[in-house]
Parts: sequence; structure tokens; C-alpha cells
Amino acid sequence: MKKLCVTLMLVMLAVTTLFAAGAKEDASKKDVTLSVLWFNDGNESEVFLKTMDDYLKANPNITLDLQIVAYNEYDQKLKLMISGGNPPDLARITTNTLSVVVDSLEPIDNHVQDIEAVKKQYLPSMVAFASNKDGKFVAYPTEATANGMLVNKTAFNNAGIDVDEVSKTWTWGEWETIIKKVLAANPKMKYGLAVDFTPHRFSTIMYQWGGHFLNADQSSINFNNPGTIETLKWFKHVHDAALLPKSVWLGSENPAELFQAGLVAGHIGGSWNINTYNKNVKDFEWKAVRMPKGLINSSVPGGKFVASFKGSKNQAEAFKFMAAFADKTHNEIYSRDTFNIPSRNDAVVTYPSNSEDFKVFLEELKVTPAFTADEWKNTNLSKVTTYIREQIVEVLLGNITAEQAAANVDTKGAPYFK
Amino acid sequence: MKSHSKGNFHQTAAPLLFLLPNILIFGTFIIIPAIQGLRMSFTEWGVFTPVRFIGLDNFKELIADEVFWKTFSNTLVYSFFTVSLIMVYSLALALLLYRNTLKGEKLFRSLFYIPSLLSMITVGIAWRFILGDEMGIINYLLRQSGGEGVRWLTDTTLSMVSIIGVSIWAQAGYYMVVLIAGLQAIPTELYEASRIDGASPPKTFFFITMPLLKSTLLVVMVLATIASFKAYELISVMTKGGPGYATKLIVQQVYQVAFLEDRMGYASAMSIALMLIIALFTLLQFKLNGKEQDHE
Repeated sequence: MKKLCVTLMLVMLAVTTLFAAGAKEDASKKDVTLSVLWFNDGNESEVFLKTMDDYLKANPNITLDLQIVAYNEYDQKLKLMISGGNPPDLARITTNTLSVVVDSLEPIDNHVQDIEAVKKQYLPSMVAFASNKDGKFVAYPTEATANGMLVNKTAFNNAGIDVDEVSKTWTWGEWETIIKKVLAANPKMKYGLAVDFTPHRFSTIMYQWGGHFLNADQSSINFNNPGTIETLKWFKHVHDAALLPKSVWLGSENPAELFQAGLVAGHIGGSWNINTYNKNVKDFEWKAVRMPKGLINSSVPGGKFVASFKGSKNQAEAFKFMAAFADKTHNEIYSRDTFNIPSRNDAVVTYPSNSEDFKVFLEELKVTPAFTADEWKNTNLSKVTTYIREQIVEVLLGNITAEQAAANVDTKGAPYFK
Repeated sequence: MKSHSKGNFHQTAAPLLFLLPNILIFGTFIIIPAIQGLRMSFTEWGVFTPVRFIGLDNFKELIADEVFWKTFSNTLVYSFFTVSLIMVYSLALALLLYRNTLKGEKLFRSLFYIPSLLSMITVGIAWRFILGDEMGIINYLLRQSGGEGVRWLTDTTLSMVSIIGVSIWAQAGYYMVVLIAGLQAIPTELYEASRIDGASPPKTFFFITMPLLKSTLLVVMVLATIASFKAYELISVMTKGGPGYATKLIVQQVYQVAFLEDRMGYASAMSIALMLIIALFTLLQFKLNGKEQDHE
């Protein structure tokens, strides 16, 4: 009897194990939950889900586990996930993040037949950003971004200035004269321009004045150059002259909020602000205009991407999903509904409004020197940007000179380039 | 013999067994990471780069690092004012609200305690709306009434004052509750006796309340000191350590070096230095308190 019981139990155990194993194998073939790490500038997560709704309906075995993280904490969270051996299946990443995690990204080359054909579909600057040091394509570009200037057109009109006309050729010197007239004509407006509290946005003006972060072959830091020092001095001058609000760079107040409140006449920010202002600004007319010229005209190219990681659990499905998200149809829908510049060469996007504003940002991109993209994809530069920001603030506070700040940055950054 | 060994077991092993879960948690989440941190401080490594042993190089760099010492002095200033003012303020609140005799006492206790329940990020965001230079409520009201805005968060001195003020506002309620518990534990007979002897209220306070509240005050001081040395969220949200380095504390610098500059080894060396500083201050506080008790 005892033997019989033991035999029966063993048989039951074997059968149960077999069924369990079979079920597991079956599930792995069918149901896949893709873990997606995401951040929002505006409404991107909502549009992303809407855009991919048809794909998810056509592939009912795929579900998304979308984790939205605040941008401030995004890099740290992603880095910890990667270093902990638990990367998401796919993640939305910026050019900054891309430069940091590039070695952990799974190359698309390993998952498509003709990688050159894939690359040809995207804007050259996007391909440059998404290529690692071995030339492998590691992320699908989803949107192109650029820095540009958005102005309160009503304020310029009040001063009798046709901002469309003057901005076609204006220099920073002319901008200063014009903006003083604008401020005089608009008593409630306090400042001429707000520039986002990031070295990325500062570099827009720095490039216009002929400055740079790195030397020509990107092998060492070279912030200490005449163009950069000139920009630092100019930046301090316009802050001291109260043309720029100190509360942004000294108190990290949000420049977009200042612009929307009608306190500043212009804002140098990213192209995604078109989306924000389109929704929020109702009290005055605004538009994108060409930025004033320093020595040259320049913007800073950037972009957003989706990528999968070495060690992601559902890589095959993640790559199929990303390829679909980055195809022409989905890219056009996503770009249109998020008010972003499409990353594809063949995308034709008709925005519900603000098409002219996007054109201005595209024009800025066209005249931007190519080295600016190379600088911002440099992994080592990303390690010094916070220090650069602090040194710029030290100059604004008058604690150090522009020359000292530039020299300090070079000293701090040099070890990263050894 | 048997009962003797049983007694030993009850006196030594049994308490240890009861403490075991806590010891395990403490060991896993505090001791092991601390040892790991110490080990990391002798290395050079980033999240994506291999570990390289470099001996004391990180500590040598730390000694010459101007930004570290700036954040160190900021931390001392912040801690000194936050801790001392928290102690005075929370003691004042506790003295006002511990008797259970006044009308509305419980309501006020709750009102003062509520901020300590909020996350520091929430507190920081709320106070940014209040103290912001251009968009802040206080400056808006000042300008509406014909005055000038105050640079609460963009002046190098005022920004530290603002941070200290908000920290005290956010934490004092918690320490008030601790001190109320301490005050209520003082036997009322002592106060009655002092009243019969004709002692004035200040004398009662200095010769009865303070001596008997000393151990509670020490707990408050140690907890507040440790919290002030580890302050991160509030400052990150309110000033990002600025303007410049004006409100940047060691913890912000550790975060920047570890996660933005990707220098985990050097950040670990900073953390070890911070840990030693906190340990030193805590020991000093215990030592001073111990000496005073010896005198008594």
C-alpha cells in the first residue's frame, strides 16, 4: 500500500511538472510583455500608445508594461537598471542619454538584413547620433529636435516692430537694441529673453559666437577658446543688464512658465516647446523666429530614440515593435500628434497648426555645423556638463571671470579624455 | 548546574534571537553596503567600466577638491543652523502644546505635525511656488503692494536662509511630538513641589524641565543632525544646490559625482568622508551629554 501511494505521488508529480513545463513553453511563444521605460516632454506617452494601437491589435500576444519616469531621474534609473542586469526591453532615450548608455545598446545590425537600407531612411544627423564607435546603428530615431527661439509676437507688435522681418537677418547686437524697445513698449514685460538652464541651450549661443566644447578631433576638452569666453562674457552682460532673468540660471525657475506668463519676450528652448505653447498660450500671439547671428547662425541638433539593450529579456519582439514604431506611417502619426520634427527622410507631416514654426526650426538645423552633433554625442562631454553649468553660474554671480571658468572646465574635463 | 545554564541562555542567547531579525536587516542594508562602500572608495570605476584598485588616490583627490570643501562648509552651516533652530522651535512648540489643558491644542499639534508627513519633494515644490523670484506668491504680493521682489532663491545668502527656514518648517513638527512625549514623562509632583517652594517659571524650566528633558533633547539633536547631513531632496527641488554652489551640500555633490560624472569610486570616498563626519558629530554629542550627566 505504502509503495503504491509513493508510486502514485511520483506519477502525479511527473505529470504536473510536464504540464507546467509545457504551459510555460507555450506561454513564451505566445504572450510577451514588453517592459518600456519612458519619459515625457509633453504628451508623448499618450501619443505613443495611440500610435501603436494598431500594432498591438494585430499582435494580441504583445502587451506593454509602460513605466513613465520623470526626466530628472530618468538617466539614473536607466543606468541602475542596466548595471543591475535588468534593462528594460526598450526605452525612449535622448541624445544625452544615448551618449552615456551607447555601449549597452543592442545594435539593430544584429536584427535586420540590410542595415544600410534602414539607415538611409533617417536624417543624417539622427544616424550620426545613433551610431556607436564601431559604426553600428544602435537606436531607432523617433523625432528630431533643434534649439530655437520662440517670441511673443504681440509684444513686438506693440513696439511697432515686425519681428518676422527683422529676425531674417538680425545679429545679437541688433537684437539688444530691438529688445530694449520691446520692453519699453510693454511695461508688464520684464525681460527680453529666457534661455533654458542647461549647457545644451547655452551652447546654441556659444556655437553662434564660434565657441566649442572639444577640440576638432574630439580627443580632448577645449572649452577654453575665444568663442566660448566671448559667449560667457556676453551672457553675463545680458544678465547684468536685466535683459535675461537671473531667476532662471541662478534660481532654476522654468523659462517656459515665464514665457507663458508674458514676462519674457522670447525663449530659447527645444522644438518641443511648440507643442507646449500651442496648448497653453492663449493670451498673446507667439511664433518661432530665426535666432540672431553671432559670427554664424547655428542651432544644436538633437533627437529622441527608442532602443533595446544587451540583455533585454524580449529582444526579438522588442526589435519588431521598434521597427514598426519607426516606420513611415507610425513616425508621421507620432510626429504630427506630438508636434515634433520627424526623424525620417520620407516622412510628410501636416501639422494641425504651427507648420511655419517647424519650418523655422528646420532652417536653423540646416545651417548648424556638423561638429555640434559630434560634440553632443561624446560620452565624456556628458560627464562635465553639470560642472560647466555650475561654472557658468559662477561667472554670472561674478565669483570668477569668464577666462577662469573656461580654464576650470578644461582642468576638470581633461582626465575624462585620457 | 542545569538551571544555571538555562539562566545564561535566557540572559544571553534568547535576547540575541529576538534581535536577530533586526540584526539581519541592519547587516544586510547598512553594514554590508557600508563595507562595500569602503571597498569601492579605493577603486576607480563607473557604472559601465571595470573596477581598478587605486589605493588612497580618491582620498588624496578629496583633500585637494575645492568643490568638496565648499559643499562641506555649506553642510556645516546648514546643519548648525537647522539643528539648533529646530531644537529651539520644536521645544517652544512642545512647551506650548504638551499640557492637554488649552482649547484647540490637539488641532495645533496636528497642524504643526502635518508638514513632517509630507515628502521633502512635495515640500520643495510647494515652497518654490511660494518663494520663486518671478513666479513666487510672496514676491507677487510684494510687487502688487508696490514693493520690490526679494531674491529668496537667487541670492547666495538668502537662498541658504530660505532652505534652512523651509527645512525647519518641514521637520519641527516631528521633533515637537518627540519632545511632547518627553515633557509628559516628567512627573508632575516635581512641578507641584517647585510651585510650593515658590520657584519662578524660568527657574522651574531651567532646573526641572531642562535637566529631565536632556536625554530626549539629545535624541532630537542626534536625529536632526543626521537628517541635516543627509538632506538631499528639498535642496535639489528648491535650488538645485545653487545659485552656483551656494546651497550645494555634500550629498548633492556625491550624487553628481556618482551618477552624472560616473565616478562611483570617488563618490564612495566622499560618502565615507561624510559617514565619518556624521559619526564624529554623533560621538561628540553623546560624549558632551555623558560628561554633563557625570557632573550631575
